[in-house]
Amino acid sequence: MNIIEVKNVSKSFGSKQVLDGLHLGVPTGSIFGFVGGNGAGKTTTMKLILGLEETTRGDIFVGGEKVTFGNTKTNRITGYLSDVPEFYPYMSAEEYLTFCGEITGLKKAEQKQRIKETLALVGLEGNKKRIKGFSRGMKQRLGIAQAMLNNPELLICDEPTSALDPEGRNEFLELLASLKGKMTILFSTHILGDVERICDYVGILDEGKLKVSSSIEELKQTYAKPQIELFFDEVANFSALAAELNALKEQGVITEVEKINKRNQVIISYNKDYAETAAALLESLIAKKTMPISLRKMNPSLESIFLEVIQ
Amino acid sequence: MKNIYYFSKKEFLESWRTSKLFIVMIFFLILGIMNPLIAILTPDIIEISFGGALPVNIPEPSSLDSWGQFYQSMTQMGLIVITLLFSGTMSGEVSKGTLVNLVTKGLKRSTVVISKSIYLILQWTLCMFLAFFVTWVYTLYYFTDDNSPHVFLAVLPLWIFGILLVTAILLTSTISRNSYEGLLLTGGFVVLLFIVNIFDKLKHYNPITLTSENINFLQGTSSLGNYMPAMLISISLSLLFLYLSIVILNKKKL
Repeated sequence: MNIIEVKNVSKSFGSKQVLDGLHLGVPTGSIFGFVGGNGAGKTTTMKLILGLEETTRGDIFVGGEKVTFGNTKTNRITGYLSDVPEFYPYMSAEEYLTFCGEITGLKKAEQKQRIKETLALVGLEGNKKRIKGFSRGMKQRLGIAQAMLNNPELLICDEPTSALDPEGRNEFLELLASLKGKMTILFSTHILGDVERICDYVGILDEGKLKVSSSIEELKQTYAKPQIELFFDEVANFSALAAELNALKEQGVITEVEKINKRNQVIISYNKDYAETAAALLESLIAKKTMPISLRKMNPSLESIFLEVIQ
Repeated sequence: MKNIYYFSKKEFLESWRTSKLFIVMIFFLILGIMNPLIAILTPDIIEISFGGALPVNIPEPSSLDSWGQFYQSMTQMGLIVITLLFSGTMSGEVSKGTLVNLVTKGLKRSTVVISKSIYLILQWTLCMFLAFFVTWVYTLYYFTDDNSPHVFLAVLPLWIFGILLVTAILLTSTISRNSYEGLLLTGGFVVLLFIVNIFDKLKHYNPITLTSENINFLQGTSSLGNYMPAMLISISLSLLFLYLSIVILNKKKL
């Protein structure tokens, strides 16, 4: 069952069409990575789901309830972390969370407990400073705390790691991963490594259309090309090597050869069994006395899949 | 209902922490002290300025002069300060994006408008009555005449006009993208009321007369009942402005 259903949604700003007949389903309980380049329409999609923008066409459902622009009731089950969260600078983190707790309708005792827990979770416990003195990273962490304060069923994060330093990013990803099974997380980013690390589903958005939406494993099985990476030392005879690899290509042992000269690296694509291909490849290289420094079976990366999908 | 209380509380905290409340209270306190003082000092100032060249005798100042000064300073400075300070009340929240976290937690946009209107009306009431009571106490102290019998009745129309003005500020701030646009639109609204005032037939219906007839109400030479249409129109316009603010904010991108 899907907690979010986006059905044939289009969105235009003036003459510019940002989303074009978007269909998207986010399975309940999943961590869904929403991937796309800058301007692909990720933030717009999230704002539409939250009722912050009005669709030009199509419907969106959250928890089975239709999202309406302006005052959508579906927001009572959501938590939202924007890319640059804004707060009231004259409040402290605790005061801001208390205000959010009051707005959300948390009971006093529960509110106190949740504020304590979330502040500890994001490392802002005991911080009495006003928000105006916070760094961007601290604001991002407070943003996470406010989004999670009421234990939402659906947590929507728009490029949450973009403002964080490597350590903060790592902590944040661990935090999201720890929430797996407790809530559904829709997480937009253009850092593919982050998605690969914590998400179990991924949607690739390009030019306003969802190119792919499936589990990461399925995606890898569908799109990933089996590849072998070879490294040679600088004295290797590359013209002889190229001739040999072309011969293997003609024999159908390998399908594609990509050479990256500066790093003496050759990437070979194949479509047969790995052991069979690697054996044939090594045999041929030994015969030509061109031994690689290393031979490695490449695991398909989300980055290569992404590039292939948006081509 | 609870959220109206929580959001209004946030508005007062903002006013306190950003020193707006302090500034505005000090300003209106000074206005209150200055009114009777200016009334007392005006004859001396004129005499010093003109010396013996003045052909007429300056009459002794009375409580009427003190109250005249109160209504003049409230309309010429008090209302302008209120407009300047609060013209960005809604546009600031929208442009900075501070409402996003709250609206995505289920806070109704109508709650924001109602809470802000409560805050603005209370702030205006507090400021006006601070200046009013200070003027009243000093006027009683300095002037023992009975030229100003209807002190409370005379201030009521000004209070109602102030409510109209703060709801207009809220509406223009909701429409506009920044405080300057809001200021311009509020100014435009007041200018429009002055233009309508050219037509004598509309005098009893025009809210602006609630700021110009106060001395007559004070003396009892003009009946407040005659200006009931202007008061009712002001209250109706205030409610309309609140409704429009809610409608516009509901359609606004955050």
